[in-house]
Amino acid sequence: MEITVVATGEKKSVTIRPLEDEDFKLLLRKRYFFSWRTLKGKADLYKLYVSEDEDILGVMALFDVPTEKRIEIKLLASSKENVGRQKEHEGIAGCLIAYACREALKKYSDRACVSLVPKTELRANYLTKYGMMDAGWQLFLEGKPLVNIILKYLS
Amino acid sequence: MSAKKLMEQFTTDEIAESFVITERLTPKQKKEADLQLKGARKKVQSEMTDKDRLTLKIMQFKFQIEDYLNNENFDPKLTFSFFLKEYVNLLNKKRKNFAQEIDIDETELSQLINRHRLPNENIIIRLEIHSNNSIPAIAWYKLIEKEKEHSIRTNRALRQQERQFVTNKLAVKIG
Repeated sequence: MEITVVATGEKKSVTIRPLEDEDFKLLLRKRYFFSWRTLKGKADLYKLYVSEDEDILGVMALFDVPTEKRIEIKLLASSKENVGRQKEHEGIAGCLIAYACREALKKYSDRACVSLVPKTELRANYLTKYGMMDAGWQLFLEGKPLVNIILKYLS
Repeated sequence: MSAKKLMEQFTTDEIAESFVITERLTPKQKKEADLQLKGARKKVQSEMTDKDRLTLKIMQFKFQIEDYLNNENFDPKLTFSFFLKEYVNLLNKKRKNFAQEIDIDETELSQLINRHRLPNENIIIRLEIHSNNSIPAIAWYKLIEKEKEHSIRTNRALRQQERQFVTNKLAVKIG
């Protein structure tokens, strides 16, 4: 699993792990945009970091819905220096979304689904950027599109 | 930061590249959203081919092995034999047919599945080829190695038994 350094095109290997208690001290709003502590205990929280480094570059909150064999992405953010035209790395959100798909696939096999309820303004971007499918209020990945995103970002 | 502020600062494309920001639905909207998703998923499932399902199941199988190998803990249930049995089951094949496909005797396959023997290199290479390189031989090998490592690390009886064959032990001890 890799992200790309925008300036050089260099690939960096990244790791995704569940957030640990001590991570919350580092997850400040000014760098990670949201108050992640409020999701502690309510969602499954994951961090992405460059494998040889411990610096967190992305965070994601997931809700598992076992009755529907589905994992819902509630929130995902890259760190401040990885957003916008001047961003340092590319592919952080893609890797995290693909990881959610991998978790869903591991648990729910050929029935696995990853969904989200996007802000209306972002709907079209998620459809094209991540190959999501439209289900009205929600967007989702299941079957081939779910496989495709895993292969694109996690191989 | 609120979603509104992000929208003011960045383009939608830049936000989608770096965030997933979601909408909070009212109970009524949520009910409608659940029904819509259920319908859309039903359609996807009905259009899925056997090949699509096999791809998903093989990926699931591969990730289960990967995660187990990356985990430091040993689980006595998750042996080479267990995963081989799972592999044959997910292919929905009779053992006899699968044994033929990798050119071994059905009895040998049963012995491998029932932990009565360990595979040689030829077998794990054949398993790699059979999976069209989806499950590398090295993953099968590492499963055997993990079992072996646990056995060597914890086998007190063997240590006790072998003690009698060793003389003139080192006079120093490190670690």
